Amino acid sequence: MNEYTVFHTMAWPSAYAIYFFVIGISSALFFFSALSWFREDYRPLRENAFYASFVLLAVGGLLLIGDLSQPGRFLNILNPAYLNFQSPLAWGGLNLISFGLVAVLYFFMMRKGDEVNGKRLAIIGSLLALGLPIYTGFDLTVHQHRPVWNTPLMPVLFVGLSLVSGAAVASFLTKGSEAANSAMRRMMLWSGGAVGAMLISLLGTTAYGGVGAELTFMFLTSGTLGLIFIGLGIIAGTAVPIVLLLAPLGRQQVGMMTASVLILVGGMALRYSILYGGQILQTYY
Amino acid sequence: MTQELLMSSTETRGRPGVRRYAMVIDVRRCIGCMACQVACKAEYDVPLGVFRTWVPYRVTGKYPTVKKQFLPRLCNHCDDPPCVRACPVEATYKLEDGGFVLQHYDRCIGCKACMASCPYNARFMLPEHRTYTDITKVVDKCTFCYHRVIQGLVPACVQTCVGRSRIFGDINDPNSEVSQLVARHATQVLRPEQGTKPHVFYIGADRSLTDYGRAVYHKDEQADIERAAFNRNKHI
Repeated sequence: MNEYTVFHTMAWPSAYAIYFFVIGISSALFFFSALSWFREDYRPLRENAFYASFVLLAVGGLLLIGDLSQPGRFLNILNPAYLNFQSPLAWGGLNLISFGLVAVLYFFMMRKGDEVNGKRLAIIGSLLALGLPIYTGFDLTVHQHRPVWNTPLMPVLFVGLSLVSGAAVASFLTKGSEAANSAMRRMMLWSGGAVGAMLISLLGTTAYGGVGAELTFMFLTSGTLGLIFIGLGIIAGTAVPIVLLLAPLGRQQVGMMTASVLILVGGMALRYSILYGGQILQTYY
Repeated sequence: MTQELLMSSTETRGRPGVRRYAMVIDVRRCIGCMACQVACKAEYDVPLGVFRTWVPYRVTGKYPTVKKQFLPRLCNHCDDPPCVRACPVEATYKLEDGGFVLQHYDRCIGCKACMASCPYNARFMLPEHRTYTDITKVVDKCTFCYHRVIQGLVPACVQTCVGRSRIFGDINDPNSEVSQLVARHATQVLRPEQGTKPHVFYIGADRSLTDYGRAVYHKDEQADIERAAFNRNKHI
């Protein structure tokens, strides 16, 4: 053997990708539930979307805590003496907890049918929900040496992914309402289109980047990860659903359901490949 | 003459009265005996499969003109450490006097943000079971042997280096050996483009080891096998 080096493992495993996926859907579902106070076509989603959002928030929180090597110390993130506000994780922890608290209050207002406080909490909760995909994007963006991650696009891309995946789940929760289905179809089309545009931009800047970015582009577009990123994420999970939704079939229930499933598969694939893509090269250094 | 900007409040470059410890590694003197790696393992009971310092090598050239190129690696104790910024609970911190980047083990939650943020792969997760200490399942790294340096000793790897390849001292002191070496020789730091201002300087390091990404084209199959064997949680 002509060389020797020690091996390095990836810092963030696939549990983080699942967390990004789950929390993105949770925040978008809350947003749709909140929109129902202001737009009649979203009304059938109010309760269902909120319950699904809350369950996913709990699942996401447990995933996040479970992935810590010291899960019992997750409360450290709430200790004002310890908090480091330079870290997006600190902001994320606070965002997650405040979103959870607002969601509980929102539940009571929703059950009571309190229009005034319901609307107030819907607005506050939506802003906090918006913070979740933004902070997860920043979690990646701040690592200046990681190709693909270190781009201002990441928080915006995560917001887009959150909306499109959330709309895909919400399309199963519309109780057959024509208006809500149509709203979800539009949401999937617009946010899916935005995600597609951002992915093209991301691929372009990565392909023409420095040595790290170029090699990461190679990993993201070839082999197993290429199959996941390009095959499942971009083609099957973004391009095909958009085409399907634009076609006459996409206006029917079966077409929309198919597009939703594809979007969910693609959303998970994109988060997974972006998370892993930014880490592979470093393991060889 | 223009001066280098101090981009972050944590940087102590040239600050009077503040020590800034650095290591110069003269690669031309390294014989690859791995004594530094062993001394470090012994000093800290570093578990199997992880390293605070390691000495990768590559064989370059074509027979009969071949050469083994070594590149001792460790935490760079950056002047502007990204790991300190990334830690949500300030478990990782930088000592202003000395510039040591250290770890509060009892505060670390194990989110691995510091591992993700380190451009040098200097950080690792301690395993669940250890023989002589209960410091487990938290992130660890080289400390520049802080406990030895405050007692007037040099780090264990420096002490043991037979070729005096590793030199340690205060780079803010213009009379120190490290200052003199950095002033007189052409030195390199790893990944300078990342803005971390590393405190490990190399003399005579070979591109085949310092270049980021080059290893991808010359994969070490053995390392991949070992990685898979050690990675029980399938984190690769």
